[in-house]
Amino acid sequence: MTFVSWPYPFFLAAAVLSYWKLPLRGRLWLLMISSYAFYAAWDARFLALLSASTALDYFCGLALAGERRPAWHVALASSLPALWLGICSRMTAPLSPWLTIQPIDSWVIGIASLLPVVFTVAYLLCWKFAKAQRQKAFLLLSIGSNLIVLGFFKYAHFFGESLDALLKSMGWGTSLQLGSVVLPIAISFYTFQSISYAVDIYRGKGHPARDYVLFASYLAFFPQLIAGPIERVGRFLPQFETARVWRPEHLHHGLRLLFTGVFKKVVVADPCALVANHVFDPASAIDGPWALLGAIAFAFQIYGDFSGYTDMARGSARLLGIELSTNFQFPYQARGPSEFWQRWHQTLSSWFRDYVYIPLGGNRHGRWNEIRNLWITMGLAGLWHGASWNFILWGLYHAALLTLYRVFRPLSTLESSQGGFRASMAVGLMLCWTLLGWVLFRCTSLPALSHWVQAAGHWSLPATVGILRPAGWVALHVLPLLLLQAATRGRNDESDTDHWPWPVRGISYALATLAIVASASQDQEFIYFQF
Amino acid sequence: MRHFPHITRACALAIGLLVTGELVVRIGFSSSVDGRFDYGYHPTAGFREDKSGILRLMRTGGRRFFEQQFPLSKPQHTRRIMVLGDSVPRGRSVESSYAGQLKVLLEDQGIKSEVWNLAVPGYGARRIQIVLRQALQYNPDLVVLHLNNSNEFEDERERQRGLEFAGMHPKNWLMKSFLLRRLYEARTEQLSWKLLPEVVRARDGARDADTEILAGMNSETQKTWEKRVRDTTLTDLELCRAHNVPVILVTQALRVQDSVGHYTIQDAGLAGFADSVTNGHVLHVPMDKAVESLDPAMAFADTSHLREPGHVAMARAIHQVLDQGGFLRVRPATTH
Repeated sequence: MTFVSWPYPFFLAAAVLSYWKLPLRGRLWLLMISSYAFYAAWDARFLALLSASTALDYFCGLALAGERRPAWHVALASSLPALWLGICSRMTAPLSPWLTIQPIDSWVIGIASLLPVVFTVAYLLCWKFAKAQRQKAFLLLSIGSNLIVLGFFKYAHFFGESLDALLKSMGWGTSLQLGSVVLPIAISFYTFQSISYAVDIYRGKGHPARDYVLFASYLAFFPQLIAGPIERVGRFLPQFETARVWRPEHLHHGLRLLFTGVFKKVVVADPCALVANHVFDPASAIDGPWALLGAIAFAFQIYGDFSGYTDMARGSARLLGIELSTNFQFPYQARGPSEFWQRWHQTLSSWFRDYVYIPLGGNRHGRWNEIRNLWITMGLAGLWHGASWNFILWGLYHAALLTLYRVFRPLSTLESSQGGFRASMAVGLMLCWTLLGWVLFRCTSLPALSHWVQAAGHWSLPATVGILRPAGWVALHVLPLLLLQAATRGRNDESDTDHWPWPVRGISYALATLAIVASASQDQEFIYFQF
Repeated sequence: MRHFPHITRACALAIGLLVTGELVVRIGFSSSVDGRFDYGYHPTAGFREDKSGILRLMRTGGRRFFEQQFPLSKPQHTRRIMVLGDSVPRGRSVESSYAGQLKVLLEDQGIKSEVWNLAVPGYGARRIQIVLRQALQYNPDLVVLHLNNSNEFEDERERQRGLEFAGMHPKNWLMKSFLLRRLYEARTEQLSWKLLPEVVRARDGARDADTEILAGMNSETQKTWEKRVRDTTLTDLELCRAHNVPVILVTQALRVQDSVGHYTIQDAGLAGFADSVTNGHVLHVPMDKAVESLDPAMAFADTSHLREPGHVAMARAIHQVLDQGGFLRVRPATTH
């Protein structure tokens, strides 16, 4: 069930209507159950992983604030994943058209059964330390567990394969027997939110959730569970703790955001994907104009896709009276790489800034340390996007850009230029860099990258004329977005159209509805779901 | 309204515009709407009888017949010939199609005739059969069935669409609106088909119109389509026999370009079948033989569609077969 699939409006409407009828406690239960149901619609098995992360971080969070819970509470909560897997393994028939449970190996249930013992023992052991060490121990337990889970499911296969290739290239002739690991959806997002939860409580920037259902709702909140925004405890948790009061603005902003998000996804991203998928397939016969058009199409595909998703997530949350962070702010209008990262996937950028870059030393201790920290941070940010060399390369490419703009004075001056021709030039130059970056991001293998680079060098007049029709297709789907951006310039939000005269807004809504229906196709996956 | 008048007014305006648009289309363009949602599987198949005794050919299954009208009762001593098929026999106009050219040849010979061009673009065997069932009610003296095996995908797709959109599943709710459905179809068929190369559309395959390209590349699928054409045509022949109507089967030919750029004309694969069912009641006109005397570049406008000289050649071939078969000597059946 994606935000643009037909069941979602019904699911959301049922959740919203029930939510506002219930008292606070009932709302939390509703959010937890609906979020778990939403997640189970993807793959019910991995609810076990989410509930394990919930149990672990709930008790670690409390312990970081000095609150101890009985050991049997810990054991009970951490036995829920095994219990769930046991239930799933006995369900043979699909529960519904949307909830099919894949078979579960018995060894997986075995490992899950060990979790209550391991976690309870670790929990009790951590309490043996003195206060200062104890806090560090619980922080380590939380971060370590989350990273182990993330590392196993997302990166173990990748690094195993890389090691295997390395061993073979050294002539050692061994072959590691690597099983395939299914990547649980949303894992990168909720583990990062869990890590920030523990770190922020440790740093005193927020207080822990004292109620288990409250914390489960916080971590699994369905509008932002699958692909963010990655929220922080200090800003996000208090919104769950107090009973939100219904205001008409919730409906107003919520629907407006949902509408804008659907528009970006259906009218902009999916049609651009058609061209991008063709261009970035090594089997396609393309030339220079196609290569360039593919890069442009992908730039708008990924923007429409992810910012559209974020808008829909924010809109859904807003209907429940909860405000999620913004994630995008006109990123293609950035004048340099620093500004780009302040505008693109803002919650992830700030996460890496606060939990990686600054703890590494940030821009303190000299220029070389700053550059080293940048490269480590951006390399990790690239790796976060996926266990593949193209993402690491993309992260390092942005690290190189950031370095270049810091070291090379004319570029840093260009980035800080305000208005006028120089600022336009800065935006244009950064857009070119960004397009090149997206090529690295999109080419999933070296042959694919080489195919694109070779094609990009072949230009001819007939090829340029021949690209006009497909370029018209891309323009037709990108222009509405550019018009929207131009009309909301100076605002924080592309969906903020309140300043338009109401007749203009009414006609725009009608036209946008027609465009959405006309552009609708089969369910297209969101790009960021794979991360 | 009190809390946020602007948004409410804007939403009301948007909804009002969409509803008005739908009403204007439904009321003002009712003939265009009629048959649009049936996707070729409507029992009347686009035949509309007026109270004044006139039969009009309308839209059927989102596609149009050429505008034609005929008296319900066949005029005396007039041969009523009906040509059924897809865009190939349909031609660019009734007059220039081989149906129209056949009428000219017959009238030159002093034979009064009505030739109905009942060909609809994209129609495959199953939808043609629906038209045939309807057409047989109007006492034809001869049916010309143009056989082609390239429309079976669209037939199936339209059948599925018809079934789906008729259902009450929430994912089809928006498609109940004529305005929205036309936009949805127009975007695929007008924008996508015109702006994107086939290779790009084929990759997607998610849009139903483009899945045809993928399906057509599969030889097994092609065999299934040909079998369906054969089976459906056998039923068509039985129907015509039951109405005592002779049939001419026209089998499609294709213009094929070889590696050095020369064109040749080849049968599309149904001539053998047509020969196997030929008897005193069923005659066969292979298109490749009918146009073989012409330069392929002159006979065909593209791979499958004929230019005017091609249509003339087809009409002559049909006329010759009719003449040889003695059809032209038989007095036309009397009117009901």
